[in-house]
This record gives sequence, C-alpha cells and structure tokens, in this order.
Amino acid sequence: MYWLKQMNLINPNKSIIMEEKYILKPQVKYLSFAAIAVGVISIAIGILQTPARAWTSYLIANYYFISIGIGAMFFLAIQSISQSGWSAAFKRIPEAMGSYLPVAGIFMLLLYFGFKYLYPWADSNLVNADELIKHKSPYMNVGFWLLRVVLFFGIWMLLNFLIRKESLKEDIEGGFKHFNQTEFLSKIYIFVMALTFSLGTFDWIMSIDIKWFSTIYAVMNFISGFHHAVALIGLVIIILNRKGYFKMFNDSHLYDFSKYLFVLAIIWGYFWFCQYLLMWYANIPEETIYYIPRVEGVFKEVFFLSVALNFAVPFLVMLSLKARRSKLAYSIVAILMLIGLWVDLYTQVVPGSIGTLHIGFIEIGAFIGFAGLFAFLFLSTFSKAASVPFNHPYLSESLAHHE
Amino acid sequence: MYNKAIRGPLVLGNKNIGQITSEVLSPMERKLPVWWYIALTISLSALTFGAWAAYRTIAFGIGEWGVNNTAGWGWGIINFVWWIGIGHAGTAFSIFLLVLRQKWRTSINRSAEAMTVFAILCASMYPLLHLGRIWLFFYILPYPNFRGPLWINFNSPLFWDVVAISTYVFASATFWYVGMLPDFAIIRERASSKIKKVVYSILSFGWNGSAKTWFHFENLSLVLAGITAALVVSVHSIVAMDFATAVEPGWHTTIFPPYFVVGAIFSGFAMVLTLVIIMRQVFNLKDFITDSHINAITKILIFISLIMATGYATEIFISWYSGNQYEMFTFFHNRINGDYRWAYWIMVTCNAFIPQLFWFKKVRSNIAIVFVIALLINLGMWFERFVIVVTSLTKDFMPANWHSYHPTIVEIGIFIGTLGFFVTGILIFFRFFPVIAIHEIKGVNNIGEESNH
Repeated sequence: MYWLKQMNLINPNKSIIMEEKYILKPQVKYLSFAAIAVGVISIAIGILQTPARAWTSYLIANYYFISIGIGAMFFLAIQSISQSGWSAAFKRIPEAMGSYLPVAGIFMLLLYFGFKYLYPWADSNLVNADELIKHKSPYMNVGFWLLRVVLFFGIWMLLNFLIRKESLKEDIEGGFKHFNQTEFLSKIYIFVMALTFSLGTFDWIMSIDIKWFSTIYAVMNFISGFHHAVALIGLVIIILNRKGYFKMFNDSHLYDFSKYLFVLAIIWGYFWFCQYLLMWYANIPEETIYYIPRVEGVFKEVFFLSVALNFAVPFLVMLSLKARRSKLAYSIVAILMLIGLWVDLYTQVVPGSIGTLHIGFIEIGAFIGFAGLFAFLFLSTFSKAASVPFNHPYLSESLAHHE
Repeated sequence: MYNKAIRGPLVLGNKNIGQITSEVLSPMERKLPVWWYIALTISLSALTFGAWAAYRTIAFGIGEWGVNNTAGWGWGIINFVWWIGIGHAGTAFSIFLLVLRQKWRTSINRSAEAMTVFAILCASMYPLLHLGRIWLFFYILPYPNFRGPLWINFNSPLFWDVVAISTYVFASATFWYVGMLPDFAIIRERASSKIKKVVYSILSFGWNGSAKTWFHFENLSLVLAGITAALVVSVHSIVAMDFATAVEPGWHTTIFPPYFVVGAIFSGFAMVLTLVIIMRQVFNLKDFITDSHINAITKILIFISLIMATGYATEIFISWYSGNQYEMFTFFHNRINGDYRWAYWIMVTCNAFIPQLFWFKKVRSNIAIVFVIALLINLGMWFERFVIVVTSLTKDFMPANWHSYHPTIVEIGIFIGTLGFFVTGILIFFRFFPVIAIHEIKGVNNIGEESNH
C-alpha cells in the first residue's frame, strides 16, 4: 500500500509500530477492581449514613468522567477537523476515553434515587410553592430530565460508535475514505455536542442552584472538560511511554500538548472571569445569590483553590519553554489540574445542595471508585485495537513531528 | 512534517522563487488599470460624504443624529462594533492559524492584517465623533491634570475600550508593518526609478538580509504575535462589556464576551473572504490563493456559524429559564416578535442558516456563491449589533420611556464615509504594498516534497 511505503521511507521500524498493541496486565485490572470496590463501599456507607453527601459525591464523580470523556472526544474531533497531523499517532487514546459514556448514562439515570438531596425542582411541594421554580417546571421536571439523559447519551454513544468504527476500519482498509468520513462525523459531533452538552450541564449541575442562571455556564464547563481531558491524554501517553509504548513520543509532541494546556488554561480563566466579573459588576440579587456562599462562606478557600489549580498552575508553569518540554513538569501540572477539576465541580455542586464543607471518606472514596471504573473501561477498550492507527494518512507527519 | 502527496500543494504552478516575486509584485509594477481609478473615485466620493457628515456632527453636535434619551446609542456604536469585529480577522488569521499549524495562512495573512488596520481606524472614528466635543478627547487619557479632582472613571468599560483599542491599533499596525520589511527590501531591489528606490529603502528600514537581521526580525515577530494574541480576545471582550456590565435586558448576560469575540472573528473571516476573492480575481493570484484556501475558509465559517447558532439558542433558552419578565419580554416580544423582528430574523438567517450551505461541496467550490454568502454574513453581523443595541434600548423596563430610533442622513453618511475610507485604504494597499507575504510564501512553495526530507 502507498501509505505504508511512505512510512517505510521515514520509519524503518514500521513493523514495530504496526504490531504495537496495549496489553492490559492483570495487576492493573485488579487494581482498578479494588478501586471500584472502594467506591461501592464508600457510597453504600454514605447512603446509609449521610445520603446527601453520598449522592453529591456520586454526581460529582460521574460528571467528572463524563466531562473528561466528552472533552476527549472533542479533542479527537477538533484534530480531525483542523487537519492536525502531529497528534495522529495518539488518537486511539481519546477514542478509548469515550468508552466511559454509555456507563455514565446509566449512572445518570440511577441518580433518580438521589434527586431529593440535589434538585429542588424534583420536589413537587417546593415547585408548587415557588413561582419561579414553577415557571421552569415544563423543562425541569423528573420525566423530561430522564428522557433528556437517555436522548443525550444515546446520541453520544451512536456518534462515538460510528467514529470508532471508521477508525478501526481504516486499520484494515487504509486509504482516504475513512479519514474523510471521520472528518464529516466529527463536524456533526461537535455541533450535536455543543447543544446536548450545554443542556446537560444546565440539567445536571446548574439546576442544583435552581434560581440562578448564567449563559456562559455551559461553555465554561465544556472548555473545562476539554482542558482536563487534554491533561489526562498527555499524562496517559507519558505513563504508557515509560512502560514501553509510544516509542516515537518525543518532546515536540509533548510541547504541543503543553501548548494546549497553556491556551486552554487562559480560556478557562477567561470564562471564569467573565462570569465572575459581570455578576460582581451588575450586583443584582438573582446572580449574586450564587457567589455569596462561595466567596463569603466556608467555601471561600476551596473556591479560589479551583482557580489556582485550573488556571494559575498551568498558565504559570507552561509559560516556561523548558517546562513545556519536560515530562515531569507536564505530569505535575496535569495531576494538579485533575485534582482541580474535582475541586471545581465540588464548589459548583455542594454549596447549592448540602451547603456545608465536608471532604472525607465518602467524597474521596466515591471518586476513587469512579476513577477505577473509568480506568478499566478506558484501558480495556484501548487494548482492543492497535495503539497507533497505522493507516492514518497523517501518521508519517505525526511520527516525524519536530518543531 | 507536511506531506504534499497527502495534503496537496500550497502554491500551484511549480514556480521558482523569481516567478513568485514577479507575480506577487506585478500589481505594483504594471500600469494602473482603469477599474482602479473608477473604484478610487467612488470610494473618495463616499469619503467626502462622510467628511460632510462628520463636519455636521462636530459643528452642530449630536442633535444631528437620530439618537434620543431612550435610545442613546444608535448607528454610531453599531458601526463601531461592526468595524472592530472585522478588524479582528487579521490577527485571528495570523495568530490562531499559526498556533493551529495551518500552513495555508501564509498567502492570506498579509491582506487580512491590512484589513485589520483600516477597519480599526474606521471603528475608532465613532467613539470620537460621539464625544460631541471632539476637541476635548484628551480628557479620557489618565494624566495628572488641572481640572480639579476630576479623574477618569476607571470602573467604566468605556474607558477600558479606549485603552484596549488604542493598544490594538498600535500593536496590529506594528505587526503588519514589521512583517512587510523583507518584502519592501525586495521591492527596493527591483525598483525601476530612483525615487521609488529611496522610498522603499526607507520603508524597509535599510533591510540588508543578513542572518542577524533575520534573527532580529523573527524574534520581534514572535514577541508581537504573543502580544496581539492576547489583544484579540481582550479587545472584543471589553467591547462586549460595554453592554454586558449594564443591567439592561438583553445586554446583561455572561456569555457576551466570548460570544462577541467569536462573532468578531466570524465577520472578519467573511470580510477576508470577500477581499481575497476580489484580489485573486483582479490580480490573477489564483496560484497563491488557491481554491483550497477558499475551501478552508468556508469550512471555518460553517464551524463559527454553528457556534453563533448555539449562542443564539442559549440566549433564548436562558432568557426563558431565568423567569425574568424583562429578559423574556426582550427576547420573545421584542426580538423574535415585535417591531424589530425583521432585523432579528435577518440576523439569524444570515448568520446561522445561510452559512450552512457551505456543507455542500458544490456551494463551496462556486466562487460566485461563496462571495455572495460572505457578503450576507457581513450583513448579518451588522444586524446582530443593530438587534442588540436598538431592541434593548428602545424598549426597556418602563413603557412610558419607550421611544423608537431612526438614523438620520448624518449617521448614515458617517457609515458611508468609513466604508469609503476602508475601500480607499485597501486600494492603496493593493497598489503600493506587497499583497502577499513574499518571503513567507516562498517558505511554503516546495513544502513537503521528497527533496526536502
């Protein structure tokens, strides 16, 4: 085949790349099962003792990995649309991260049992007593909410499936057909995702503070998912590279991932600041109701910690040219950012639902559980196909990427 | 690396370096065509009309405009935002496409940057003229003064605007000019007359092409690129805050800053498209600005159009979701429906629906249709600002204060004048400046060929 000939010119180790396939070792598998067990235990204990805390932790952890999954798929789509060559070799990683979404949909539906601890609009007495909540009830009601979950996740799963299918077929057949088809699907995916994920963030998180609203909210959470997904993708590549996979991974690739972290940190900070500044400036009650408990109450430190971890850390560290090419610096930043996403979600969810600051076994345990599940689904999907898409038209560009 | 076999060539026609120079510079070196004089006459007439309108405004005051106590802002701010938006594309091309490694930008960035400079100059006319007493403009500058304890309101987004835009003018003009230095030197070398040689020698700052000069040049470009990248976002965010900080229905919404930035890039790209289609046609530059360039820009326009559509949908949804009766009135009874619904629907049609035609390859490859759609996007973006400014202001909280707004001939005249200024600037640019970055296009001429490996 022509593409393989092309590759031969550049990379004599073609066969190594072609045969490279991730093997999910039993230790890793058991570790993730152990993590899932921790999660199940802590959520179970939580439901028996303090159900409100258990359900908020459950929502935070599930939403955390939904936004990572969506962000990873967005990364994949944007690479395809913008004809980016440098990242072609790594596309199997974001592809596999999308595999969490079907499970996440089921967890979202199970949230039904925790509704009364989270969403004021699910309580019919409250809805009848309050004019404003009543106004929203044609949209914010239990039945329609569940229907939307089914619809959104259904669409995402379908598109994920189609994109993955094209990618796997490309391995067998090669050529331009599947490459072009992926680009087309990516366009649809981005459009659909923009609408569905926007409404999803309103439904799942914003509606906890039922009287408060912000138009930038959806984009902000969307970018946050993208930002943290890139952090995780890079981190996973660094770890796998240490384990002997992705041998062609060089500091030019790393440099590009670092640039993404840098730029997205600026965008994240920008959105965060737009919302904060405009609400502070206008100073009207229907908006400040959201910020008062976060800025003046017990959540103050956590609230600003989120800005530090999600904006200041990646921005300041990645300013340095040396740091952008250092695996260590990238790893530290990525880990801090991944903690930052949890902190960010915590401050979005908890002040409106529980109202008191309490981070303990339930919160951390639930997160560990979901992380284990995500890791297991991601790695087992990743192990099912060649780790490098060897027929990708831009692969030679990606392998020889030097800047 | 760039693989030509897969991605296709960026410059058509297998040219050598000498051919590129002569073809790009041919508009400057051959005799001026008749259409150039005709176009210049029209644009100078428009400019004269604008000068008359500016004279009326300065000599007789803002009473010459159609604005009133209720609708205190009218065409002035609409056109200001419109021009600023157009001005964003130059920087967006240079910076974002550079960051995203889009090598095809090299044949378009020069004209986009030129457009930026002229568009921002047009935009800056409006706040100046709206001051009423334009000769007191310097009051806005924060300096220790003798006017008593009268200091500038640093909390006002209008002041932030002055700071952001003046910075942007200087930064983008410098970026544009510095980029032209090596090309000026080429023109100098080729100059036929003595005067031309001296003029371009001065313009090129005595460029000598040594390694050291190139080193300085590249470093300076990098620094300027970094500065302007932040400015792209900051300028239009602050323009958005002129509206969003006010507690006015339809204005006070948190999505405004990014939404304005995206809208600005949208209108700017459409204007770039309009311009390069004309340019490649009249100067026969189709080997440099190829069909695949046009194709790439139209694809970006679909993408941005979808973001705009999502923005419109979000606004409508949240206005309902908020349960705020004023917000709901503005969107459902004053925009979607009501006296100004025609403006709202022109905006939605031109910005959200018509660009979707670019999904079809047939549409994308028909240059005439692409040209028309690009113009329609510019129209749609103008109406977006019209909708925001006029619908919110004319009917706000108190029905007793409602008042309609109609522009006068003076306001229209100023707009026509800035259009004339813009076209004049572009015509001069076409004639006296290298319209394509010669040194950059040479860099991508043979990109991705076997010999380069």
